[in-house]
Amino acid sequence: MARYLVSQFFQAVLVVVFVTLVVAVMLRFSGDPAVAQFQGASAPTEEQLREIRRAMGLDRPFLVQYWDFLSGVLRGDLGTSFRGETPVRTLIAQAMPPTLLLALCSLGLSVALSLPLAIHAAVHKGSGADQAVRFVSLLGLSFPNFWLGIMLALIFGVTLRWLPVSGYEGAASLILPSLTLGLILTSTTVRLLRAALLDVLGSQYVTVARSKGLSERTVLYKHALRNTAIPIVTYIGLQFGGLIGGVVIVEQVFAWPGLGSLALHAISNRDYPVLQGTVTVLAILVVLVNLLVDLSYGLFDPRVRLE
Amino acid sequence: MKRLNAFLLTALLGTVGSTLAQSGTLTVATAQDPQNWDPIDTFLVAWGTVAHNIYDGLIIRSADLKLQPGLATKWTYLNGNKTLRFTLRKGVKFHNGEPFNAAAVKFSFDRLLGAEGKKGPQQANYTSIKQVKVVDPYTVDFILAQADPVLLTKLAGYGAMIVPPKYIKEKGGAYFDTHPVGTGPFRFVSYKNGESIKLQAFAEYWGGKPKVANLNFRFIEEPATRVAELQAGRVDIATAIPVAQAATVKSNTKLTLQAVASPTVQALRFNVTHGPTSDVRVRRALNHAVDTNAIIKSILQGYASPIASLQSSQSFGYDPALKSYPYDPVKAKALLAEAGIKPGTPIGIDFIGTDAVFREVAQAIAGFFQAVGLKPELKTYETNTFYSDIIPKNKTSNAYQMGWGGWTFDFDNTAYLLYHSKQFWNPDYTSKELDALLDKQHKLSDQAQRQVILRSIAKFTHDEAIDIPLYNQQDLWGVSKRVQGFQAPSDSLLHLNTVSVK
Repeated sequence: MARYLVSQFFQAVLVVVFVTLVVAVMLRFSGDPAVAQFQGASAPTEEQLREIRRAMGLDRPFLVQYWDFLSGVLRGDLGTSFRGETPVRTLIAQAMPPTLLLALCSLGLSVALSLPLAIHAAVHKGSGADQAVRFVSLLGLSFPNFWLGIMLALIFGVTLRWLPVSGYEGAASLILPSLTLGLILTSTTVRLLRAALLDVLGSQYVTVARSKGLSERTVLYKHALRNTAIPIVTYIGLQFGGLIGGVVIVEQVFAWPGLGSLALHAISNRDYPVLQGTVTVLAILVVLVNLLVDLSYGLFDPRVRLE
Repeated sequence: MKRLNAFLLTALLGTVGSTLAQSGTLTVATAQDPQNWDPIDTFLVAWGTVAHNIYDGLIIRSADLKLQPGLATKWTYLNGNKTLRFTLRKGVKFHNGEPFNAAAVKFSFDRLLGAEGKKGPQQANYTSIKQVKVVDPYTVDFILAQADPVLLTKLAGYGAMIVPPKYIKEKGGAYFDTHPVGTGPFRFVSYKNGESIKLQAFAEYWGGKPKVANLNFRFIEEPATRVAELQAGRVDIATAIPVAQAATVKSNTKLTLQAVASPTVQALRFNVTHGPTSDVRVRRALNHAVDTNAIIKSILQGYASPIASLQSSQSFGYDPALKSYPYDPVKAKALLAEAGIKPGTPIGIDFIGTDAVFREVAQAIAGFFQAVGLKPELKTYETNTFYSDIIPKNKTSNAYQMGWGGWTFDFDNTAYLLYHSKQFWNPDYTSKELDALLDKQHKLSDQAQRQVILRSIAKFTHDEAIDIPLYNQQDLWGVSKRVQGFQAPSDSLLHLNTVSVK
């Protein structure tokens, strides 16, 4: 177990370093951040641009800049935003809670919705309810989350005026964005869970359990469900990465001040330190969640040993 | 229910109102969070929209774009225009209680023109100021390195806001970035990155008490969401309503739509260094080929005006007599034939792909080019790459989008940067004659003479057909009917001290 953790840790570090390196290299091929400061409203002279680049630390060789960034990360220092003097660490510390909150709520919502729906659909395979679940989940998959978000905002925010359309002020503002992300997630989770359950319900040990005279309830909850846990948890872990991507779009729609919005602004402003910092933190999050998923296997299936 | 809410609100605000003699909260949604509030670090319109309520400049530009006394009560040129002397307003205080005086002005400009300002984009605008000298506590002299006819209008704009010396020295630049202090009508309360900035009326404002007690700005990038919040009544004023949503706002009985001419002109510039567009006959032909009126009518739904030079109709130097090349595809074809351009000749058009409106405009232009026998090839770029790499490094195709906001409302700024040889934004067009005209007016301070020269510059670029000026954009503002006394400004710089809410 200890050896497994150590090797996983090094793998995770490698992944994060690789991701930041790719981002750093790609950023430097995409326009000059010193010019980006001007937004086309004035004309900088070469000398002024040189001054600004020097102030940004961009006059040094790329490897020096990258090494500075990496060693900064180790010290917990992510640099300073090109827009003003705010430390990147402060910006990320402000944007992290809204994003985590949104991700967890959406994930929680999708699990709470998809579990009962999938179980019902699988147990009553071919019934009207099953068909309805499959149809609705397919429908959910076909909606872009951008569109769904705007529709929900128009119905519950504009027409009914029950909920705030955007912003981050208290529990009420959490509802629409988590609903948007959660519903999209539910559509995929419910299909996967139903398929996994059907698979297990058709397997030999379930037939054996049934023939022993166990109640259908015991068969389902004690035997079948436990064996679908691994694919589900794996799936949700993998989803987390996708969830972060979805968060970026949903944050944009609902003016949610999270990591996604921060990263998007950093891209359009060519704010290298902020973007590198955000990407590093997101990469660490995704790697961490995947590690947790691996570790959780042992909980569901005692046969799994992590070596 | 609604009546009860209104009642509670009035009761609540009444208690505040009775002590402050001003009441209510005004909420404005803007599209962008400037991310720092230091005047010398930014060039964003979104910054100006918010920060002109916190800071004052020596000069203020009113909603009708006239220059008016701000923190300076008067200004005169001395020494054969080499010195600009400002008489300062007395009895003005910063929000933290610091007095405003000549020392504060000197501090603000020393900071802008010194090492601190080197890191930001604003210094480039004020290079004509050599030095700021304190004459007495309420008089300052700006010693000029060279004449700058647009200096006064720049002082009313972005970087030259007056900041508190003691506060900045004590708290440092990083703190000031997120906790701004100025002399403006509203004082800073709180700022949440990516979310909002909250301000409060500054009772000691020299221009009189503001009419609302609280002023909140929310940053909502997605236009559909901005409009939804406006419809939901959670936002009172929304900036940058997209043309596609104009009808939604207009048809809502609780809202009004204000359309004002902006300083921004959209144009298609030609690369004159290579290909068919290096021939002036081709450039004129393409000007004749595009029906800009049809573009304005159908794509911009009328929220733009035809324009014949790259300046807003409100800018100094604008010539209403100068007309666009009339739409005449037959003439266009003849000119192309005369220039020896064969039918089916490819012509590249570069534009910014994320700009949904201009995407349609570019497609329409491609259609017009095709109609005169050319083979248009559309190519899209991302904003930053386009402006920092493709244009300045002369990597453009035959024609490329150029959206230009002349924020000084003086053609000098636009014309000099876009037409003078070897300027950053003009990597390809060179003309000694045009350079001479540009330089001549650049050194003059006689406005009547400048007007004449600026108009001849516009005429020159028009005859040379260096570009196709497409339209002068209008800014659309959505405003709730509970807002009283609000007129959307052409320069997007809000001064909300005279606005009230019902």
